[in-house]
Amino acid sequence: MSEELIFKVKQMIIDALRIEGMTAEEIDSDAPLFGEGLGLDSIDALQLVVAMEKEFGVVVPDAAVGTKVFASVRAMADYIAETQK
Amino acid sequence: MNGWIFPGQPLQYEPLLPDDDDFRIINLKCRERCGYDLENKQPLSAGSLSQHTCLQIYGVAMSLYRARRLLFKGEKPELIAEHSLGIYAALNAAGCITEGDALELAARLGACMRVMSATKEYALGCPIGLSVGAVESAARNNRVFVANYNTSSHFLLAGESEGIESALAECREAGAFNASSFSCEAPLHTPLMAVIASQLEAVVSDYNFAEPVVPVIEHISQTRLKASDIPTFLLDELLKPVWWERSYLTLLSRGVKNLVEVGSGNALKKFNRWIDSENSQR
Repeated sequence: MSEELIFKVKQMIIDALRIEGMTAEEIDSDAPLFGEGLGLDSIDALQLVVAMEKEFGVVVPDAAVGTKVFASVRAMADYIAETQK
Repeated sequence: MNGWIFPGQPLQYEPLLPDDDDFRIINLKCRERCGYDLENKQPLSAGSLSQHTCLQIYGVAMSLYRARRLLFKGEKPELIAEHSLGIYAALNAAGCITEGDALELAARLGACMRVMSATKEYALGCPIGLSVGAVESAARNNRVFVANYNTSSHFLLAGESEGIESALAECREAGAFNASSFSCEAPLHTPLMAVIASQLEAVVSDYNFAEPVVPVIEHISQTRLKASDIPTFLLDELLKPVWWERSYLTLLSRGVKNLVEVGSGNALKKFNRWIDSENSQR
């Protein structure tokens, strides 16, 4: 997994969710995004779905897939890399 | 222009409660006017308030607390909007009612709603990622109602539990990104509330409302509330849906630049973010 893609995903999360006072470097690539980690919810999930489609041309069809894809930044980057192949 | 927006009922309690004099004052008012201890998140007398009513009182209390903190820092609203339960704390911020009355109103109306759950099971449904047409169709087909129009993709359904579950199944079938349900005591913001309208009206009639000193944009038709409108609005709003996107766009059209969400959580901020992102693509 390229560090460049992971950085881009982190930046996309910050931009799409308008997270203030946090840089891409401060987001743990393996921390859960929902619940404990960044504390995201289903409203955030849909915002990320739209952002991923816009930025990377990748579709997350439903919440079941989303649960796996949005498990962490690394999982998101994995899904993008796999889908773009 | 500064706008304060007051959110509806939170889905859960925040893990940490504030520890300062303002919080203690609000807690004292909760205890005196509602028989509810904000610090322990419990009624003073076991069983006197339902868990749903407790969460409603908590929601109003946290909005009142945050408004106090903002005022202490010298911040003041020039325009106010509210979502659902947010109306009670919004009316306080606008100078229409006292903090104690805002809390007591929420508690007494909550107690009226509790009666509805004695005969039927009600639920809320939260479909995400479907168009308004698809959600309204699922609601109609399953005899439930759209209670909140939050954004083009975020809605809240209310009605009998069975209908909510089948409506959500239809939403999933239609391609909803997510569809979850929550139990509730009463189908707020739907015509089903009419069965307790006289009890709700009797509660509201016990309070006096002063003219707002800060304009309040109400969530049904996005007009400015006058003191004489408030009793009717407080009843109507329990029978009609919340139109948040329209309320937010009204704030923007009236020149609001700085928005502060005054309450527990940040659901309204997230809805606004979604609305902004759609508008920026147009």
